[in-house]
Order: sequence, then structure tokens, then C-alpha cells
Amino acid sequence: HSSKRSLTKIYAYGHDQDQRKFWLALILTSVTLQDIRNTVGNIPMEWYKDYPHIGYDLDGKKIFKPIRNKDELDEFLDKMENPDYWRTVQDKMTGADIRLSDEQVDLVHRLQEGKFGDVNFNEYEPAIDFFSNEVMIHPVTNRPQDKRSFIPSLIEKEKVGKLVHAIKMGWIKPRRPKETTPQYYDLWAKEDPNSILGRHKMHVPAPKLKLPGHEESYNPPPEYLMSEEERLAWEQQDPEDRKLSFLPQKFACLRAVPAYSRFIHERFERCLDLYLCPRQRKMRVNVNPEDLIPKLPKPKDLQPFPTTQSLVYRGHSSLVRSISTSPSGQWLVSGSDDCTVRFWEVSTARCLKTVEVGGAVKGVAWNPNPSICLVAISYDDTVVLLNPGLGDRLVSTATDQLISSYEEPEEVKEQPVQWTVAEGEGHEQGHRLILKHPKAVRQVTWHGKGDYLACVMPDNGSSLQVVIHQVSKRRTQNPFRKNKGLVQCVSFHPIRPYFFVATQRYVRVYNLIKQELTKKLMANCKWISSMATHPGGDNVICGSYDCRLAWFDLDLSTKPYKVLRHHKKALRSVAYHRHYPLFASGSDDGSVIVCHGMVYNDLLQNPLIVPVKVLKGHTITHDLGVLDVTFHPTQPWVFSSGADGTVRLFT
Amino acid sequence: MSQVQARFFTENKKYLVDDVPFSIPAASEVADLSGVINKLLEANHDGHKHVEFDFLVRGQFLRTKLANHMETENISTVWILTGSYDKTARIWSMEGKAVMTVAGHTDVVKDVAWVKRDGLSSLLLTTSLDQTIMLWEWNSERNEVKARHCCRGHAGSVDTVAVDPSRTKFCSGSWDKMLKIWSAVPTVEEDEMEEHNRPRKKQKTEQMGLTRTPLMTISGHNEAVSSVLWMDAEELCSASWDHTIRLWDAETGGQKSTLTGNKVFNCISYSPLCRRLASGSTDRHVRLWDPRSKDGSLVLLSLTSHNGWVTAVRWSPSHEHQLVSGSLDNVVKLWDTRSCKAPLYDLAAHEDKVLCVDWTENGV
Repeated sequence: HSSKRSLTKIYAYGHDQDQRKFWLALILTSVTLQDIRNTVGNIPMEWYKDYPHIGYDLDGKKIFKPIRNKDELDEFLDKMENPDYWRTVQDKMTGADIRLSDEQVDLVHRLQEGKFGDVNFNEYEPAIDFFSNEVMIHPVTNRPQDKRSFIPSLIEKEKVGKLVHAIKMGWIKPRRPKETTPQYYDLWAKEDPNSILGRHKMHVPAPKLKLPGHEESYNPPPEYLMSEEERLAWEQQDPEDRKLSFLPQKFACLRAVPAYSRFIHERFERCLDLYLCPRQRKMRVNVNPEDLIPKLPKPKDLQPFPTTQSLVYRGHSSLVRSISTSPSGQWLVSGSDDCTVRFWEVSTARCLKTVEVGGAVKGVAWNPNPSICLVAISYDDTVVLLNPGLGDRLVSTATDQLISSYEEPEEVKEQPVQWTVAEGEGHEQGHRLILKHPKAVRQVTWHGKGDYLACVMPDNGSSLQVVIHQVSKRRTQNPFRKNKGLVQCVSFHPIRPYFFVATQRYVRVYNLIKQELTKKLMANCKWISSMATHPGGDNVICGSYDCRLAWFDLDLSTKPYKVLRHHKKALRSVAYHRHYPLFASGSDDGSVIVCHGMVYNDLLQNPLIVPVKVLKGHTITHDLGVLDVTFHPTQPWVFSSGADGTVRLFT
Repeated sequence: MSQVQARFFTENKKYLVDDVPFSIPAASEVADLSGVINKLLEANHDGHKHVEFDFLVRGQFLRTKLANHMETENISTVWILTGSYDKTARIWSMEGKAVMTVAGHTDVVKDVAWVKRDGLSSLLLTTSLDQTIMLWEWNSERNEVKARHCCRGHAGSVDTVAVDPSRTKFCSGSWDKMLKIWSAVPTVEEDEMEEHNRPRKKQKTEQMGLTRTPLMTISGHNEAVSSVLWMDAEELCSASWDHTIRLWDAETGGQKSTLTGNKVFNCISYSPLCRRLASGSTDRHVRLWDPRSKDGSLVLLSLTSHNGWVTAVRWSPSHEHQLVSGSLDNVVKLWDTRSCKAPLYDLAAHEDKVLCVDWTENGV
């Protein structure tokens, strides 16, 4: 009955839920056709766990669970004592315990092994080939062949046509024919240091062992054996510093050689070498700090420049504030605080003429026009134009004629500066024109052509700080309306009509013809003391009281191209040479530093600035050193005047 | 055996001889001089009997040899001509006594030169910052000097002058970069025809001499000419501030060759004995050049010992290898070209810069 009626619930010990379900489903299908006992269907039976019934039968009546409560103890006893325990299964549908029959147990075993459930089924029945290699008389089918079986395929033709069209349209690119030449793999590419593969070589071969030499021999030549001192020295050295890690020993014969004591040590070290050796090449960048410094030419290559002091012009008794050379280069004029102006012959340092003036001389300037022989001397609030009478007589007399041939215009305009012609004793001494200014004049400078003269009267408040005089017309103009700061120095552009005005922190470039400000150069200095313009006209240097010399390239920018800090103390004066690429700066530390400053004609190359020589010679008096610096007009010589009352020539 | 020029005069009419200078050996004694006079008298008058004479030299009886007498009495025959920054030139005797002052320039005298220095009257030249060169005649007996010519033409201070070996021409170099050649022969003064017409001018020219213009002007230097000299009667050599030494042909005025250096040349000197040019520059070296080299510049030897600019060099007139140099470091050095490392002697007696050096005729 159990095979007919029972829905066997398989209690498989140790098997999981899935397998149980599978077999349950299997057995149910084989049995359910006959007898449906429980009508709940395929539901998890846990739902009826708490109920006394386990389902409903066909008539709708509850099917009650068998009245037996097996508790743990009973279960345990059952497990231990019941010999059929292993083949007892609780039917899920009814709740009853069913003992599996032998056939059922056999079935379960067969299923577990993966065989077919049915005993009588033979899976190794002989196969009857439907299609075999034996050629039969009659074919399988008598259907005649289609035409498409022996003509070229139409489908393929269509596909090929589509492909050809696609290739012709360029949507598909045909495959390139393979190269028939054999491609070889370069075995040694990694060894070649030039090829890419070789350079990428990260493989670091293991360090090679040193081959044994004479020191390892059991009977080395006597020179390889260490003497007593050498042995002591070897023992005192650290093991890492030693050249040989062992002492060479001498034995009479091979039999006397003992076992090698350092064997394990050596092998250990070899292992260390092998696995501690670096695995990757680290590309370290070895930058020499010297390579970063730009290579400047050596001063030797930049000759000629002044190197030594040659002459000292002695004669003044107080500090010499200003010097100037004649355009021919034969004479030098110097003005000093002892109220005299002296004229010197350059080649012999002889003072040829001394002119007394009425106050401490603040500035002297020789007219750069070679056909006019005039010197402008400024003291207190007066500027005197003096004819020194040196040099060519004709030029001297021509200058006098020029001055005396002036005709007064009809209407006399009101001028801030008074022009008077010198007479009497002044005239004998050489004074020709006297200009009286409203304030003390500090600097005088001539225009390149020799007709215009600019004077600086520094005063923080007024707008009359700079005046430009025209000697031929005896006219004075104040080019500026507004006061922009304390004017330190001015200079004319050598070629074009520009005017440079240096105040304490800025240098303003004005266009005199257009009468407007062209540029404002910002020096990084706190207080500009002096300024000089390059004879080519595109560069300006400024010296300042905070030891800086700023070189401006007007084409480059309004900030300094280079700032040089060679001096230790305040700079007093800077100057350019007219022909040679040199510039010099004199400062309160008593030295004159000459630098090579080459300006190139092509606009791409920046000026080359190389400091070339430090010229010492002046003595520092009252904390003041060199007060004025100027170059000889034709030779590579520099003159410097100092607070010690001397003018020195360096050649 | 040096010779001395002497003239004899006496108040005794019986023993008068010609008033011409005679060349007497310096080692002559009274007897020799006596013999000379006797011979002269015999030649002039017949029947002259030998007389022993006594000689007075400058009021002193001649007792010893003439040379010794002269030494003891300090009678010199060598005169030193110097120009100075006080606008005058001076003639000195060997002992250092200023015999004559030549004043006439209006500005500093830069260079002086003897044109000829024999007998009674000598000609000398002075150049100055006032762009003129003056030719003077000096009568050594009467100790008078007279300006013969004033050579105008330069446009700048005349720094150097040199007389040619034939003593007929001289060349001057100046700050106007030119060289000018002038005639050194003094022309006789014009007649007094001009006197009436232009008395004022005559007075001026009397003081300064007749104006003279150059025979030739040579240009070619780019800067001031610092030193000029004649190598022979047709070749001139000039050194200048444009770092070159140029050789010129005096006949045509053309440039023959150029030697280029690095620094301003202060002075040059030529020695016909060894045919070398020595130059002093604004560095401390004295350089020897071969003027015949065609290459441009070949410094044969460079003598370095001075500490300042070398302002004067001069070859010895008698010695082939000796030259003397003066410099701004107050030292005068005597060099032998065979020992180029160091000078033979250092003469440090000046207290200030040495501007010019020269040799005497005998090489002293």
C-alpha cells in the first residue's frame, strides 16, 4: 500500500533541502496519478506546523496529524535503537512515518548514483544507425535535388555583391595582403643600448661573482701574502672597507688545505647580493649646479677695459663733485667744493688752468660739440658758460664770435632765468655768459648737438625743477607744468628728441617734440641718484643710493632688464662709454666697477652684461667715496673723482 | 780721442791768428797749443820765430791738459735743451746751470729739438700748446737767442717735433691728427721795405720771427700724434693715440705701412744701428718692432719692468743694444736688448713723473 497510497516523505539524513525536494517531486509524479490524499498542493508544509491538521482531503475534511508528539528524547532513543530508523521517512502530507521497502531503497540508491530509475531499462541497447556509411540501394528520400544544389549559391552571390559594393563605396576596407617575407624577432634588441628596447631595459642582471685569482690559491706567490703590518691594518679595518674579505694563506700541499670556514658566510652574502640587488634602474637626474649658471665670457676676452690706476690729478683741496672731458679727449675739467674749477691735461696730469668761482661747484659739463669750446659750470644758483681757451685757437675764437654775435629780439619775453654777458675780470678769466636761476642748480647737462643745456634745481614743491636753455637764442623754457616728485637728474637722448627725467623712484621719458610723456620706467630702487643713456639710445642705466644699478632696455619693458648689486654702498654716479661697450659706476665704498655691456643691433638678442673690473684707488673721506665717473671719449679709459680731492685716471 | 773747438784771440797784434774755430784734440797741453799757434803764424807770416805762448782760458792760465783744465774749470761743450710747462725753453750746461731762457711762446712748450748744434750759433726748435713751432737761433758765445721763424699751421697743440738727418727739414705732429713737414733753413729777413708800411707787424714778427707755412701735410691718423721721428732722409715714422705706428714716405706724403698695437703709444725711438723701433705705451711695457715687417704688427720683444705708463724711450746713439726708458713711476731704466727680462740699471732720482729722456753724443 505504501507504494500506492503513501506519499513518501524521504528523510534523507545529511542531505540538503534541494535534493529532498527533487526526489520528493520525482516520487510524487510517479504516484500522484493514483491517489491524491492531501489537496493543499505544493506548498511549504511549515505553514501547517502549528496546526493539528496537515491538510484537507478531497471531501474537504481535515487530515489530522497522527497523534504522537515525538520530543527530543524520543527522537534520540529512536535514532539509537530503531534499526529501521535509517529507512523511515516522515510523509509530509500525512505526517506519518513510512518505512521504505527494499525496492524503494534500491531506487533511492540507484538515483543517488546517477543511474536510470527503472531497473529494467538498459541504456546500452545497440544503436540502430539511421544514417550510416553503408551505401544502401535505396536512398532515404527520393526527392530530386534542387537546382540550387549544383549551381553557385545565389545567397552567397548576393552577399558578395553587397560586400563588393561596400568596398567600392569605401565602407569596408579590404584586408592588406600579408607580407610574404618572413618577420624575424630581434633577439638582441634588448642588448643594444641605442635602440628603444635596449633603453627600456629594466632588467638588471645579477651581479657577477669575481672569479678566483691568485689570492684564493692554496699556494699563492709570496707577493700576494700579507705582511704583518698589512695584516694588522686589514684586521683593524671595518669588514665593509676591506678589499679582500679573507687573508691569503699559503700551504705546502693540497693535503694540508683545511676545510673552507667561510663557505656558509660566502653563500649567504651571495644570496644577499642576488635578492637585495636593485630590480629597477632609477633614472636619477645628475644636474651640475654649475651648468645652470649662464656661461658668461671671461673678462680676458672682453678687453680692452681699464684695469689699473695710471694717473692722479692732484690739486683740489676739497671734494671734487663733478668732472667732464673735452670732446677731443685732451682736456679734463673738474669742479670742486673749494670753489675752483680746474682744467687738466689728460696725458700728463698737469693742471693748466684754474678758475675761481663764487661758490662750491656742483656740476661741470663740457659742450660735446667739437666746434664749440664751452664749459658749463654750476655753483649755487648760477650757471656760467666759460670758454677755457684750450685746444684749437680757431675754435675758441669762433665760439667767442658766436656768443658775441647774438642779437636781441625785439620783444623781450619774461624768462625765469636771467641771462647776462660776462664783463671785465670775468671775461678775462673766460666767463662768457652768466645765467641766474631762481634756486640752487645741482646738475647741468648738454644736448648732443651742443646748443641746448638742461639744468636741474631740485625742490620738492615747485614745478620749476628742470629748465632747458638754448644758448644760441639765449632762451629758457620750463618744459613741465606739474611737479611729479623730487627730480634727481636729467639727460637728453643722444639721437632722438627724448628727454629723460629721473625722480626718486621713476624715470620718465618725454617726447620733446610731441610734448608728452612717452614712458615711465619703474626702477626697483628706493632713491635714484644718477642716470646715464647709452649712445645707441635704447638703454638707460640708473644708479641708486641703495647700492643697486638698474639697466633698462627701453625696447623690452618698463621694468629693469637687469639689476646689478656689485657695490657695498650707495652708488653716486654711472656713465657709459661713447664707443666701447663699457659702463662704469662709482660708489661710496671708494671703488669704481667697470662692466662690459654689449648691446646688439638685432632686436632678438638681449644686452650682454658682464662685470669686468673693480678699480680701487680713492680713499674714503667723510664717508664719501667716488663722486663722479666719466669715460674718455675715445680711449677705453675711465676718470673718477672722489671726496679725497683727487681725480684718478684708470687705463 | 775727443776734440774741442777753440778760438784764439790776443790783443798783441803781432801774434794775431784768424778768428775761426779750430778743432783741437782735448788732450793737448800748453806745448801742443803753442805749436799750433806757431805753425799758424809761420803759415801767415814768414820769418816767424818760435815763441812759447801761454794760454788763458776764461781768465785762467792753462797749466794742465786742456781736457783736465776744462773739467776742473767746469767749462762744458755739451748743452741740454729743455722745454717746460712755464711756456719757456731753457738751455743748460752739463753741470746743471741754466745758461739761457728762451721765452716767446704764449702757452706751454711741449717739445724741443736741436736743428744743428755746432760752433757759435745753433738752431733750435720749440713746439707748444699754442699750435705754433718756433725756430730760434742761439749764439752761444754772446749768449743771445733770437726767434727766426714761427711756423703756423696746426689746428691743435703740437706735441712732437723731429729733425731730419740732413738737418734741412723737420716734421711735427699734433693733436689735430696731422703731420706737417717744414723747412728748417732760416731764411734771411726781408728788407726794411716793409718796415715803413707795416710797422706794427714788423714789431710783432721781430719778436716771433717770420711766419712760415708747412711744406707738406700728411694725414692718416685717427687720433692725436704723440711722437714722430725720421728714419732716414725720406722716411718718417709716427706714433699716435689711435694705437698705430705708421711709416710715411717724406717725398710723396703717402703711407708706407702700419704697425698696430693695443694701447695708446706715448713715444717711439729708432736706432739705425740695429734697425729697430722701440715704443712706449700707456701700459707698462716697452716694445721693440721691426719697421720692415709687412704683416701689420709684430712685436719682437716686450720689456716689462715699469709700474706706470712709459712716456719716453731713446736708443743709445753709439751702442747697438742699449736703450733708456722713462716712465710715470718716477724711474728711468737702462735696458740691454740682449737681456729682456730685467733692465740693466734703474735710475730712481726723480721725485715725480719722468716725461722725457735723451742721450748725449758720446753715449753718456
